[in-house]
Amino acid sequence: MNPAAATMKHFRLTFFAAFYFAALTAQAQPSFTAPAPTPTVVEDAANRRAAYAARVQEVVTWRAGLAKPGDPATLGIAEIAAKLSLRQDAEVCSAQLIELLKTPAGDMFWMFPVTAVSYLGRDQLTPAAKTAVREAWRTYMPLRGDTENHWAMYYTSLYLMAQLWPGEAGDRWFNGKSSQENFTEARDYLIHWMTLATTIGQGEYDCTHYIGEYSIPMLYLATWAADPAMQQRGHMMLDYVMADYVAETLNGIYVGSHARTDDTTVREKWNGLASFFGWLMLGNCPPTAAYGGWGTYFAIVAKNYELPEVIYRMGTDRAGTYTHFERKRTRHRWRYSEVRNPPVYKTTYVTKDYAVGSDQGGLLQPIQQHSWDVTWAVPDPRGVHNTIFSTQPYFGPRELMMYFTEMPDFMPAAVTFQGKPTYISEAKLLGGSPYEQIFQQDDTVVSLSDVPAGTNFEQVNGFFSKDLARLEEDASGWIFAQGGHAYLAYRPLAGYDWQPIDGGGQRLRSPHGKNGTLVQAAAESEFKSWEEFKAAIRALPLELKLAPTPAVKFTTLRGKKIECVYGAAPRVDGRAIDYAKQWKLFSGPYLNAEVGSGRLTMTHGKLKRVLDFNTLTITDAVMP
Amino acid sequence: MSITKLKFLRLIGACTLAGLTTGAAAGPKHDLYMCVLLSGQGQVMGGRPPALSGVYRSTDRLTAEHVGFGHIRMFTVIADPRAADGLYLTALNGVVHSPDRGKTWHILTGWDMTEPKGIALDPHAPDHIYAGLPDGIAMSRDRGQTWQRMNAGIRRSYTHTITVDRTQAGRVLAGTELGIFLTEDGARTWRLVQATDDVTYDLRQSPHDPKAFLAVTASDGALWSADAGRTWRRIEGVPTTHTLHNGDFDPADARRLVLCGWEAGVQVSEDGGRTWSDRTAGLPNRQVWSVAVDPDQPARLYAAPYLQPVYVSDDFGRTWRPLFFEKATVYGISFVARP
Repeated sequence: MNPAAATMKHFRLTFFAAFYFAALTAQAQPSFTAPAPTPTVVEDAANRRAAYAARVQEVVTWRAGLAKPGDPATLGIAEIAAKLSLRQDAEVCSAQLIELLKTPAGDMFWMFPVTAVSYLGRDQLTPAAKTAVREAWRTYMPLRGDTENHWAMYYTSLYLMAQLWPGEAGDRWFNGKSSQENFTEARDYLIHWMTLATTIGQGEYDCTHYIGEYSIPMLYLATWAADPAMQQRGHMMLDYVMADYVAETLNGIYVGSHARTDDTTVREKWNGLASFFGWLMLGNCPPTAAYGGWGTYFAIVAKNYELPEVIYRMGTDRAGTYTHFERKRTRHRWRYSEVRNPPVYKTTYVTKDYAVGSDQGGLLQPIQQHSWDVTWAVPDPRGVHNTIFSTQPYFGPRELMMYFTEMPDFMPAAVTFQGKPTYISEAKLLGGSPYEQIFQQDDTVVSLSDVPAGTNFEQVNGFFSKDLARLEEDASGWIFAQGGHAYLAYRPLAGYDWQPIDGGGQRLRSPHGKNGTLVQAAAESEFKSWEEFKAAIRALPLELKLAPTPAVKFTTLRGKKIECVYGAAPRVDGRAIDYAKQWKLFSGPYLNAEVGSGRLTMTHGKLKRVLDFNTLTITDAVMP
Repeated sequence: MSITKLKFLRLIGACTLAGLTTGAAAGPKHDLYMCVLLSGQGQVMGGRPPALSGVYRSTDRLTAEHVGFGHIRMFTVIADPRAADGLYLTALNGVVHSPDRGKTWHILTGWDMTEPKGIALDPHAPDHIYAGLPDGIAMSRDRGQTWQRMNAGIRRSYTHTITVDRTQAGRVLAGTELGIFLTEDGARTWRLVQATDDVTYDLRQSPHDPKAFLAVTASDGALWSADAGRTWRRIEGVPTTHTLHNGDFDPADARRLVLCGWEAGVQVSEDGGRTWSDRTAGLPNRQVWSVAVDPDQPARLYAAPYLQPVYVSDDFGRTWRPLFFEKATVYGISFVARP
């Protein structure tokens, strides 16, 4: 693209974005347009609760207000849910619901909103509207989906609706199964999923968007399940999902590696549904536009949940720098693997100024995997690309066949039409690679790649944000940068050039199959000056090799001697890393759980909460 | 294509049909079923489909009516021998049964069985259903009321296709990620009879010679067995560089076979598989998802190029014309005997 065209495209995008946000803000989303909140710790529980309730009210009121009197087109399912939550306009909502149910679509994304409306409307909807809901669940067969977020929504909805309409025969249900059969199947799946997640780790882990597709169903179970055990499971899993998220946040922003993110959020880290939860639960970041879209469906019953103080403080009241370790699991592997859900080993290092997070590399989740980054803190994250990372851009039918049951050849191109437009692009910044191995020690990341000749693509892409305060190519081979109060030293292992990125920033394109990236982060406050930081980095012992396989020997700023050779276990101070032995389900100052235990211990200062899924108990304690 | 031209083609088609069908008033003895995605490449789960995908049935070979629910992932339809109007369907939601030719549907499988592709019934024990799953093989002995996992011994058990040897109860062949497996005891034990580098996507038993089987694969081309699946040999003259999707025998002529694949187009044999000809000319692309031979009309082929209409040929692939849909991905074409 020539510069003029690029400028025009940027102008169009900016204009469109401004128009879009102006349209939304015209409907008054106070927290979206207000100055970013200053991260503070609300000490008083009642004040904390009141602030949470006010945020919940803001969402519901905004959503209900989108419906214009006399204009049914503005009254969608979300607006109906919001109005029923506020106990407003039940007659109008009922009439419009009947209309909307004449053309159901959206599969599991239809099921849970209709479930919410059904429960909120139990004493508000007209008999005709209730009949329309009942009929829709007889005639409309939703897809059950092909991944865990789909199944969480599908089976939670089915569980609750079978509970709402007990004792009915199969001919009353879209799938021909009786109420009891549906209830039992849904319960069994949900328990199966919870057991997997709490013993060997969540699949589709730590997603910047799909956190909503898990937390909303869990809130619904906690709110509406009649069985006390399932209600408790929902509550505990919601605690679990929130704790898992909060431990890897920087001022509410989900940091580090994600099973799934997208082309926007991978750069603008705040701009995902997860940040809605940061705002709602922690109050330390702005909400995303339209409260993340799905945020409404959480807010309508959010009064039935209160974030435990121990989790709240994990996200807002940190004593200092910490390292957090997690074990997750891959999406189901159908082909090309001896193991259904191989483990994912995550490391996240968090300071007040920046966070560094990673997985071990490889293909852990198709298409939207994000394997590592450094994210720096900013006063207002809206529109800011506060991150740096590199990827080994890879695509191919083998990745897709591993994780999907589709035929092979059409998929790579088809994926680009399904909301993942960069999938087959050499410029992509998103996705995992079977040829990338990553190791993180504290705030140092080494990513090595060894791409076979002829593979798409023999390359590494480094993301350099438009929001970097400094960017200097040093004669030593290091690239020095500053983002916020984070100093960054980035060392490409092979030659590179710079390419512009739509939306701002530059892509370091290193077109070599044997390749890698070494990054060392540090806080500005650790050094007297920028020059001192650069000198310190230059002085660190470093050996780089590309042949026969990429290798790095580096003594980190923290004094650790790391040795990484592609294809071999990383070594730290001479000792080989054994992921399988060393990585627990959670370990760190805040969250701890053994693999297979079904038991998560959360701690912050003197506060302790234990979620025990074996006994379905929550135990709170204040330690002496 | 203009409406007038379409009507003219349909008229021609109707005339051809009338001429080819013995006792034209009775029509074909089989209904044609197609499992179709009509929403194009951009359709994702959870979206509002712009067109009605799912199972389509043609009773007259001129028009196709939508049957049942409108899902974007359905794979094959077979007859239920226990019920005159019964159908079994494999779909993303599981193994599904209709007792009334698609008016109502009942999902037979539970949460633990997703996306079955292959399905086969044992003609000697019609209550026995075998389903090929992405994580193995499931079997029901009670018409789908209960299911058991029956893939012990199959490593990397992705199973795309499954077929029952009609000559012997409990004798089943399964096309998996790593090859073709055979059981002779109703899926209790399996043995690998043909290793492959990648998935076997279709397995067919000859309607003429029960010892003859055809298989098509992702990277090993097409395979032939003359001893009821015990041993296999590669069929020469068939592309091995592309994924082959499915194959079919002409029930009316033992010499005629057809297969198709991605970039492989349509390949036919008219000498029992000894030699093969490319019959893709006349189709809009070589990315052919499905082919089938019409059991009621000799030499009539259907082919489904990717994102194109379903085409029909009345001269075994020498010439083609569009027949159904405008922009379809057809996961399966099958014929079910009319009740």
